[in-house]
Amino acid sequence: MKIVVAIKQVPERDAQVRIDAAGKWIEETEYALNEPDAYALEEALQLREQHGGEVVVLSAGPERVGTTLRETLAKGADRAIHVACDDLGARDALGVARLLAAAIKPEAPDLVLTGLQSEDLGLGQTGVIVAELLGLPHATLILHVEKTETGFTVKRELEEGWFQTIELPTPALLTIQSGGNKLRYATLMGIKRAKTKEVRSVTSAELAVNAAPVVLLEWVTLPRKQKSTQMLPGTAKEAAVALVEKLNVEARVL
Amino acid sequence: MILFPTLAEPQYFSLFEKLLFAALALTSAAAFWSRFGLVLDKILKSKQDPGFRLFPIGKRIREFVWEVLCQAKVIRERPLPGLAHAFVFWAFCAFALVTLNHCATIFGFGFLSPSGSIGRLYDYFAAAFAIVCSVSIFALFVRRFFIRPQWLGTKLSWESGVIALLIFVLMTSYLASFCVADASPSARILWWSHSLALLTFLPLIPHTKHLHLLLSPATVFLSRGSFAQIPPLAGDEDFGLVAGTDLTRLVSLQAYSCVECGRCTEHCPASNTGKLLNPKEIILGLRGYLNEYGPASAEPLLGKYNSQQAVFQCTTCGACEFQCPVGIEHLPILIGLSRGAVNTGTWEDQHGSRLFLALERGSNALGISPTERDRFIEKNALPLFDGTQEYCLWLGCMGAYDPKGREIVLALVRVMSYLGTSYGVLRKEKCTGDAARRLGNDLLFQQLAEANLQTMAENKVKKIVSICPHCVRTIQEDWHEYGTPPAVEHHSEFLARFVSQLPRTIDSGFSPDIESEGCGGFNPRIKPTAPEAALAPEAEQTTSTLRPEKIVYHDPCYLGRYRNVYDQPRAIVSLAGELVEAPRNRERSFCCGAGGGLVFLGEETGERISHNRVHELIATGAQTIAAACPFCNTMFRDALAATGDAAPELLDIAQLVARTLPQGGVS
Repeated sequence: MKIVVAIKQVPERDAQVRIDAAGKWIEETEYALNEPDAYALEEALQLREQHGGEVVVLSAGPERVGTTLRETLAKGADRAIHVACDDLGARDALGVARLLAAAIKPEAPDLVLTGLQSEDLGLGQTGVIVAELLGLPHATLILHVEKTETGFTVKRELEEGWFQTIELPTPALLTIQSGGNKLRYATLMGIKRAKTKEVRSVTSAELAVNAAPVVLLEWVTLPRKQKSTQMLPGTAKEAAVALVEKLNVEARVL
Repeated sequence: MILFPTLAEPQYFSLFEKLLFAALALTSAAAFWSRFGLVLDKILKSKQDPGFRLFPIGKRIREFVWEVLCQAKVIRERPLPGLAHAFVFWAFCAFALVTLNHCATIFGFGFLSPSGSIGRLYDYFAAAFAIVCSVSIFALFVRRFFIRPQWLGTKLSWESGVIALLIFVLMTSYLASFCVADASPSARILWWSHSLALLTFLPLIPHTKHLHLLLSPATVFLSRGSFAQIPPLAGDEDFGLVAGTDLTRLVSLQAYSCVECGRCTEHCPASNTGKLLNPKEIILGLRGYLNEYGPASAEPLLGKYNSQQAVFQCTTCGACEFQCPVGIEHLPILIGLSRGAVNTGTWEDQHGSRLFLALERGSNALGISPTERDRFIEKNALPLFDGTQEYCLWLGCMGAYDPKGREIVLALVRVMSYLGTSYGVLRKEKCTGDAARRLGNDLLFQQLAEANLQTMAENKVKKIVSICPHCVRTIQEDWHEYGTPPAVEHHSEFLARFVSQLPRTIDSGFSPDIESEGCGGFNPRIKPTAPEAALAPEAEQTTSTLRPEKIVYHDPCYLGRYRNVYDQPRAIVSLAGELVEAPRNRERSFCCGAGGGLVFLGEETGERISHNRVHELIATGAQTIAAACPFCNTMFRDALAATGDAAPELLDIAQLVARTLPQGGVS
């Protein structure tokens, strides 16, 4: 079974985020593997352990993406494809999905996995658009995948503790929710083996896709932090009444 | 019984006797070599130890003289049996010439004539040892077969009995030769008895644990050079001790040197609390593996002879390696085995994975956001290190994120401010990697060490002081593999230099109006409420009529055995009260159970190591337990909570000092 896992390199959770001079994107900071994608990779590796086959990791971005690709190889992926692209910030979800779909198509995988959403933009769209571009049936928020005779049976997370079971044919695309599996740690043996695994680079020009964004990002800004403290006087009962009123009318959280 | 002035020897041996002796001797030697040669072969066929340096040789010679010839560790750690063993050993040494002469006489090459002045003196000298040895070996026999101490194991060792008997025969046959006439038939009988005992003993040596007679001097001499030293990995295919092919010469030599004395197990915190781990069995397991599979085998080491579960119960406290009288270095072996499992991904533990992932993703072992550390620094206005200050105060994971660890840091900061020390804290720290290193995750450790070394260089850090012995050890010894770390010391070493400048609690009187450092709920030194304040004026007198407070100091493994720092923390404790020693103290200190990364893993089986230790500390009757490690602190806090309200107070040595400082400027 051939599985392609599309991953994204995102700013580290606790990295300092600074807006660039143009106000349209962020400055270079520290990066790490997007956590939902780590779960997608884990799902792929477990499926390969059960059913054999190949796990191919794919990511679009600048040169530094290579480090994260090597990490996924160290965790057990068989080979990687790097779509070299320096202007990810200027592309919208459709633009990125076009790149990824163009890179995936020649691979003709049985299954494509992506993380549910990215930790930086959190759009949750890229996987879905890729499925559409490739003409693949898809399902999102997946916690568990099982291979069947005809395709896959998957467990999908809904709200309030409800789950949905879906059957899909193969090939298909799934976006994976965090927490479905226990992640594995990177090992020394993994990283040594990763040195010999293939990382194939393909430029966005070679893929010859239409890059024009349909969604324009106008500006990026940091949220303003403000704090205001009000002391509520009176007895506990009086203060409680006043508090409820404020939460309802001023803060509008009730 | 008549005593003759000289040793009786047969004066004449028949040709038949000479041929018989020669034949027996050759058979004995062949039987000896068939086994010893095999063992030697296995040791030599093991791979070379990377990074092993024979020089400087002075230290090796000194240790050889002290531990082998003087039997220092053998005696010191188990005095009575140790002394008995020492006598047996010295008797063997004394008998060297006697034995040679004995075998030479049958062929007419005897060189120690019993009637000559040198010969006679030597014979008396040997006889004195023979008496002492006979008594000793008899006593040791009684100990092993009748008293049966727990640590020798439950199975009776018949080979030990046979060896003891042979030694006894050797000694008594020699002594009896002073009771018979020269050239008499009795002398001949005694000569042959002695010879037969000798020739039986020789081939038994390599077939039993008495192999240590030949190997242990070499094992002691060829030690790795420092305590708990983790060897570097050699090349791309080395992941630690995975299979037979990974066993090095030192490991094989040590595996065959084990005398099964059980001193390691006796002091192991895991073995003492019902865990599977038994350090002696780990070593003997490797011996069993080598006997069955040999050093070229691909069979996993953790399989038939040793279990992964046992290996990951090791707190790396070092008591085993410290105790071993024959020079076995358990820690490189145990950590080698855990490395083999972790580096190849065969260790599947949910807590372990979570720890590694937390370290992979973030900066600390607790999995807490680094912004918490920034907040801690900001809230307490800790100065940032800018290259101009003398010391870099290393917070570590516990000091930066753990509430009690933070209290220790703030206490130290108070003391440093009082002393006028110039220091700063780094803007960003990553975990030193201690837990990753001891659990055997070399990939993660390398990443952490390299990142930290770079931070150190960028910030021009020259001297580090830390509250955590694990950080100190990792920075000083383990980071060496990836660069040159700055000088680092533990805060006990730092504070000890200023002992004369720090206030001494005179009579160690109880001063109720000193504000607490925010210690736990059972702290009697909380700022007094109104009624107690009335007492304050009287209690302020320094010549208090109250008895000095008893403080029991617990030696952390990574400060004591690992770093040889015992006196400095005690000097600090003595400032604050009357120092009390625990029964298992200094080099014999009993681990708190946190080390080896175990504090981050799941619940222990059996009795909790921390509870075992805390009971011992409470039993000293001390009002306060003094710790010098944030991990010991956290383990004891948990154990004390289980003890109840009468529990002693638990303070770090920094907190002990801080509360003796004059008030004002409390953070």
